[in-house]
Amino acid sequence: MWLPVVGLIAGIVLGLLTEIRIPDEYSNYLSIAVLAAFDTLFGGIRAYLQNIYDEKVFVSGFFFNIILAASLAFLGVHLGVDLYLAAVFAFGVRLFQNIAVIRRILLTKWSTNKEKLEKS
Amino acid sequence: MDRQKVTLRFTLISALIGFMIAVQFQTVTEPKVRDTRDIWQLREALLKEKEMQYQLLTEIRSYEEKLSAYESKRKQSKEQALKDTYLELKQETGLTEVKGPGVTLEIEPVIEDIKLGYTPTSTVPPELLKRLVNELNMYQAESISIDGQRIINTTVIRDINTETKIDGHTIKDLPIEIKVIVKDFATAEKLYNRMNVSKAKDEFFTESLRLSVTKPSTEITVPAYENPIRIRYMESVKEGGGS
Repeated sequence: MWLPVVGLIAGIVLGLLTEIRIPDEYSNYLSIAVLAAFDTLFGGIRAYLQNIYDEKVFVSGFFFNIILAASLAFLGVHLGVDLYLAAVFAFGVRLFQNIAVIRRILLTKWSTNKEKLEKS
Repeated sequence: MDRQKVTLRFTLISALIGFMIAVQFQTVTEPKVRDTRDIWQLREALLKEKEMQYQLLTEIRSYEEKLSAYESKRKQSKEQALKDTYLELKQETGLTEVKGPGVTLEIEPVIEDIKLGYTPTSTVPPELLKRLVNELNMYQAESISIDGQRIINTTVIRDINTETKIDGHTIKDLPIEIKVIVKDFATAEKLYNRMNVSKAKDEFFTESLRLSVTKPSTEITVPAYENPIRIRYMESVKEGGGS
């Protein structure tokens, strides 16, 4: 499972090399999109570890979450309410939960592996 | 589940995330070099810029002075006077497009008069047009165009083989528009009133044509005369006047 990390690094390098800069007004949207993408990614990893991974859900969730978050931020800008905070909150909470679940699953796996090793 | 496929998906998504993070990072850390000058250094810099601005302003002023000097010289020169005269003459002869206040007249066949099996007249007798132009000239018309053809001093309106021609342009498709430009709006209104009560309307009606006058407008465009003007009986005066 090292390939995704390599992909992440490749993406970062590519982004730094292309020197794309978006206008300041839109940096809010991009940050929230990044958050949504992270949420989806960790949700996917968790689902994979729990063996309930569905490719359609994963890919559609990725794009849908990003679009939803961006449109929420857009609505917030036009209503004068910082609605993007709602998205930040929701994604943040889910991110923590997902990571916690992943951690627990990995811990259980690790401990069972250790027990197996000790038994054998 | 195909493990490789899943890994590929995760890789793609994480690459996308990495790209977004990099872009965001670059956007947030826009100013690469931090400004660490204190207030005195800033003041110095400001002073420098102001001096620069002052210098530039003086330069601009001197250039503008030069420009205006050249402009006034050019205006007083003979060449400009000649050019002005040339343009004036051109306007007077009708070689330029003219815009101004005026009225639009329309000539159309009388539809009520059309009988079965009888084609409505599609041309206007030249005599009528000539009379109309004369009448318009009588009421201080300055520029006239008939069906997009500018009327100038040497324009001929005549009948060639039962076709009414204005300087070689055939009037075929009725209705046609006659645009008239006058000096000012008040004259245009006067012209409009006079044309409404003039006999020309009745004269056109006897030829099964209706002449309608639209309300005077402030902006009417009369096109320029297109054909070359032939001068046959005119010669330029020789210098010294020894003709």
